[in-house]
Amino acid sequence: MAKENRGGKWTSDLVLDLYSNLLMEVWEVVSALIGEAILELLFNLTIQKIGEKYPFLNSLKVSEEGISSDGVREVCRTIPPIDIHRGFQGLINHLFHLFSTLAEGVISREVFPKVFPKVREAERIISQK
Amino acid sequence: MRLIFKNLNILRSTINAINMSFEIKEIVESAGNNLPNLFDLSAFGVLWEEGSIIYLYQEESCPHSFTQEVVKNMVKVFSILGKGTDDVSRFSIQVEKRRLRPNHMMVDPKATLKSYLTLPLAVEGEIIGCISINSDQPNAFDAQDLQFFSVIGYQMAATLKHFQRFSSIKSIAIYDTLTNLYNRRYFEDRIRGEAQKAFYSGSSLSLVMVDIDYFKKVNDTFGHTEGDRILYEIASLLKTSVRKKDTVARYGGEEFILILPEAGLEEATMIAERIRRLVESTPFEIGQVRMNLTVSLGISNFPSHRARSKEELVKMADLALYDAKRGGRNRVCIYNAPKE
Repeated sequence: MAKENRGGKWTSDLVLDLYSNLLMEVWEVVSALIGEAILELLFNLTIQKIGEKYPFLNSLKVSEEGISSDGVREVCRTIPPIDIHRGFQGLINHLFHLFSTLAEGVISREVFPKVFPKVREAERIISQK
Repeated sequence: MRLIFKNLNILRSTINAINMSFEIKEIVESAGNNLPNLFDLSAFGVLWEEGSIIYLYQEESCPHSFTQEVVKNMVKVFSILGKGTDDVSRFSIQVEKRRLRPNHMMVDPKATLKSYLTLPLAVEGEIIGCISINSDQPNAFDAQDLQFFSVIGYQMAATLKHFQRFSSIKSIAIYDTLTNLYNRRYFEDRIRGEAQKAFYSGSSLSLVMVDIDYFKKVNDTFGHTEGDRILYEIASLLKTSVRKKDTVARYGGEEFILILPEAGLEEATMIAERIRRLVESTPFEIGQVRMNLTVSLGISNFPSHRARSKEELVKMADLALYDAKRGGRNRVCIYNAPKE
């Protein structure tokens, strides 16, 4: 289902790599602000909610050490890249919704500059498909 | 740099103060006393789910509408975190107003909530509440405030969890699990204190020993499960028959004991009679049968009976109970000193 691109990598892998890095960056920035335990909780709440629509997200593993998408990779082989993109986008949106609910713009201001270019990049990859 | 050190010191003393607290209210107050040194806030709030309570520690000039907004926002955030509805009425609200600002910075009577930081109080992956700092000024908090506040939140969550655990252990230690009355151990602690107080000040103290009549028959005929249920029901009747300051405990088996501080013989007799009549007139459903039960009660009193120790006072109540049993049961007897 996922096409192989010129570099030999599957599009789904590219999208997944991009979001994995993005989530790790979000983790790094936000955990410094609110601590690992609260962030783990927020991630889990988000995965639980968005995972209802995009079950592949349930394979994300979150702990106080960080977030790992190793489990997602296998599952994503059979999922169209556009759905992977939408799933992660939903996840990011909901996380931002929680961040704003808790701290208005304080967290978002720190994270948004890192997130926005990566989401754009994911959109570009998908549109090239 | 100097400012960071100053803030870190305040943070350290805030955490120390939270650590030293033993009760939720004390925890909130410790934090409330210290936080204004760290943040430019108008109100500090703690929502504690187990107690269904929101504590607010706020600048005294905050208008009521501001308080309501803060409460509403905290409940909304808590519900977004997956903890129930955003119905404010499920919480009771306690507001502590303090002077946090100088006169010229008093909160405008029409002030609204302009900025806030709210964090879940989370321990071991469980959300037990949330804390919040609030301001009537826009953009009052920045990333460093959030960092400091999260450290306080972690400490507070851990302290609250300890407090929760301590409460449940304390509850196991002092309550009788079958009847939900205080247990014998608690009674011993309590009578020690009350007796000391009475002996020292000369104030009145009464004890009432209560025993269910023919309870063995209930157990033998209907089984222990029904017997246990009767114990629970009679315990509930006892609780409803005493004053707020009285202590009702299960003394052992089908025997209960009441500590009635500052109650003279007359008042103790009145309470005991009330219990006797209430039990007598209450129909108990045991299995398929509806039946009436009775209790016998013995009263002792300080200073009337000249007890010299708490043990003696308990023994006197026990002897009075024995008189009630011997006199035909379903009666109240006052300790009768043997003639010398």
